[in-house]
Parts: sequence; structure tokens; C-alpha cells
Amino acid sequence: MTSATGEAPVRMYHVSKSYMAGQYALHDVSLEVRRGEFVFLTGASGAGKTTLLELIFAAEQPSEGQILVLGRNVARLGAGAIPALRRRVGVVFQDFKLLDDRTVEENVRLALDVVGTPRREARARVFQMLKSVGLQHRRFHHPKSLSGGEQQRVALARALVNEPEILLADEPTGNLDPELTIEIMDLIVSAATRGTTVIVATHDHSLIDRYGKRMLRLEAGRIAEDNPAASAMIGASS
Amino acid sequence: MLISIAFANAFRGVRQASTTSLLAVLTIAVVLVLVGSASLLVENMAGLLDEFGEELQLTAYLDDALGEADLEALGEIVSAAPGVEQVETVTKAEALERFERIAGGAELLVGLEENPLPASIEIKLAPEARTAEGMQILREALEGLPGIAELAHGQEWIEGYARAVSLIRGAAIGIGIVLGLAALLIVANTIRLAFYARRDELDILALVGASRTFVRVPFLLEGTVQGLLGGVVALAVVYGAYELLLPQVRFGLELVLGRAELRFFTPAESFWLVAGGAGLGLLGSMTALVGWRGET
Repeated sequence: MTSATGEAPVRMYHVSKSYMAGQYALHDVSLEVRRGEFVFLTGASGAGKTTLLELIFAAEQPSEGQILVLGRNVARLGAGAIPALRRRVGVVFQDFKLLDDRTVEENVRLALDVVGTPRREARARVFQMLKSVGLQHRRFHHPKSLSGGEQQRVALARALVNEPEILLADEPTGNLDPELTIEIMDLIVSAATRGTTVIVATHDHSLIDRYGKRMLRLEAGRIAEDNPAASAMIGASS
Repeated sequence: MLISIAFANAFRGVRQASTTSLLAVLTIAVVLVLVGSASLLVENMAGLLDEFGEELQLTAYLDDALGEADLEALGEIVSAAPGVEQVETVTKAEALERFERIAGGAELLVGLEENPLPASIEIKLAPEARTAEGMQILREALEGLPGIAELAHGQEWIEGYARAVSLIRGAAIGIGIVLGLAALLIVANTIRLAFYARRDELDILALVGASRTFVRVPFLLEGTVQGLLGGVVALAVVYGAYELLLPQVRFGLELVLGRAELRFFTPAESFWLVAGGAGLGLLGSMTALVGWRGET
């Protein structure tokens, strides 16, 4: 575990999550992720990667233990406070979760609409965001007309347009071919270099090897390996 | 800004889920046609009963010894009795005159030395006295009065009338409650279908930090607009049916009752039917949203 800084945006203390009595999706997990740190979360299917991410963006509540996300105790967060937390946490999924009946621009703008950003400002920010992921020319297209890699870039743009302090990605390249995988991962890594704390859940060990970031390996709901040696390579990505 | 987005999202919802929206509008319309028709029927039946009730009266036949001055004085006393709306005094001579008019001549009375018909007081009942109890109180008040020989009243008619009024009012309330609850359930389920069809959108909105209000308000607006449209359609259908059936119904009622004053909803009642649709749509969408926590 990394040393306590008092500012770590994600802190977990003896966190367990159980959906059925006696069966744990996560068991006694303690960890800290520093500001701007990039962490790969790995492990076999069912090891608890998705559950851990869900606890961080308050889609689930821990059964035991405490989770502090951006200084807020998720276990005690009321329903009304969850949206405020989520506006500071961007999330990307393997299946993109885009709205097919809205254009690329409208999909990305959703994150700005919910905080009441004026339309003109929102459009400008969306344009800049799409430009940074190389999709400004596709902003009036619908997701179905885009490739998988492009759809994931749209999802990433939506997750980042509000300048979140934390970016969570659950198997973001699971549906993409190797070339597109690197394209998306480079974009995610670049978010971390701008100060966003990033946690990426992945099966793909080649990515972990390639980027040399901190790696947490989960096994049956427990942290089996926290490889801080890799974190020494922060900033040494391809 | 958020309000304009809410309206835009509500409009988008109606446009994109046009089939489910149409279904919701039609469901609300069908339910309101049933409620509206039942209300109109009950209202008109109650109106007919009210007209009939105005004709219910009690007649006090008087002693022959009573002079015309005494008759007027007794009329004054009777008009102050509980449950009396109006009295009309009928002298012996007026009673004979009426008889002659009705019988088409006085041949039946030829040979009699004097007018056998008694003077009377015809008492019209106040609406609150048109019950068996009201009639009993009035009877007790009148029976002790000097000069009154006999009280003639249609007790059975009165009781029948009171029963009919209470039955129709009760049925109206019962039908209203049952139809209202059924309407709410049907509308809530229809809107819930639309809600599930757009579950992904709601989950994504929750994911990017939309507040519960941001997600819910467009749905509530959508439900209200659907209800409003359903109300307008229902009003049009009930009015069309009323105009279409009015001649036949009026003819039938005139045949049975001798007359029939039927009416459609007043503008205020029409407004409430449409507003009821809007309320139903709003309540339906609120019910559909119960249980959705706004979390992925």
C-alpha cells in the first residue's frame, strides 16, 4: 500500500462487499491511490475488479469498512449526495454506454448538461474535448455509425469533459483490437499526466507490461499483489 | 438552463417513444371516457331525480268548518313548519273548479246539495325534507294543528325517491373510486413501460451525475402532457357520444317520464376532466418512478 498522504482521492479501509451471506465479492481490502496516480487493477473474472470500481463511484455501498472518495465517506453518502460525487468521477465501460439516439456531441454534452453548463459554453468544451480524442469531425454522427474504437473515444470524452478528479475504466479496451487498444490507453494515460487519478480494470497483461504503472491484482475478492515497483515507471509510458 | 433541458428531454421522450407515448395517451383517454361517461350519466340521473323531487308534496285536507280566513292563517303556520319550502292553499271552491277542469265537467257531482270537496293546503317539500325522516318530522309538526283533518302523503314515493338518490350517489362514489384506482394502475404501468424502454438513458444520466430531479422532471412532464392529451381526447369522445346518443335517450326518457332535461358537462366540469387526465398522467409517472434509485 502507498503511504498515507492525507490527500489521496481514493482510500479504502478494510472494505468488504457481500451480496450473499458468507460470500464476498471483496474481502478486507485496504488501499490508497494518490492524486494523479495511474493504477491497473487486474485479476481473473469474478475477482472483484468491477465491484471495487462500483464502490468508488458509489453504485454500491460497502458491507463493511470505510471508503473515502475525494474526502467523502461513500458508506455514509446519502442518495442526494451521490450525483455531486459522480460529477467529479468519470467512468468508462467496456460496452461504451452511449445513447444511440443522440449524436456524438449530445452524448458528450450530457455530462455538462447535468451540471447546468450554458449551452454555448458546453458546445465549445465538447468541441475541444472531441478534438483532443480526434473526433471533432464526427460530432454530428450517431454512435452506431462509429467504429468500436471511436465509440470508446466518445465515452472517454464524456467521462473527461467535466475534468473529473478521478477516472475509472472497467475493461475499456475489452471490445477493441490491439491497435485501437493502444490508441485508447494512450488517451487514458495522458489524462493521468494532467493530474487525474486513474484506475483501469483490465485482463490484458500486455498493457500492464507496456505502460509499467502500479498494478493491483485481486484474487477472490482480496488484494493478492500490489506491485509498487511498477509505479516507479510513472511517466515512462510509450 | 436546467428547466429548458428538462423540457427538451421531455419533448425528446415523447417524440422518440412515440408508440409508448401514444399508448399512454390512449390508455388515459379510454379510462377518462369511462369515468367521464359514468359521471355524466350519474349527473343526469341525479338531475332527473332532483326534478322529480321537486314535485313531491304533502297535502293537508282541512275540516269543512274552517273558514277562508282561518285557511290563510293555517297556511301561514304550516309554511313555518320544518322542511316546508312552499305552501299553496286551495279553498273548497277552488278544489271543485280543479275537479271540473280535470273531469271535463261536474256531471259526477250533479245532485249533491253541497260541494263535497275539502279545502286543502298543498305543501312542497324543501330538498332536505325529501326523506322518510324529514317527512316524519313534518308530519308530527302538522298532525297536532287544529283544522287539519287528514294528511295525505306519498310516504312510499318519498322513501323510494330517497333510496334512489342515495343509491345513485353511492354508486357514483363507488364507480369513481374503482375507476380512478384502475386508471391510476393502468396509467402507471403504461408509463412504467416507457420508463423501462429508456432505462439505459436514465442509468447513463445517473452515471454522469444527474440529480434525481434532473432525471425525474422530464418524465413527470412527459406523463403530465400525455395525461393532458388523453383528457382532451376523452372530452372530445364523450362529447361526440353525447351528441350522437342524445336524441334517442331524450326520446326514451320523454316516453317514460314525460320530459327529460339532459345536459353535458359545464365548462368548469370539462376543465376538471382534462385536468384530471393531467393529474392522472403525473401520478402515473410518479408511481412508475417509485423504486428507481437513480443508480447504475
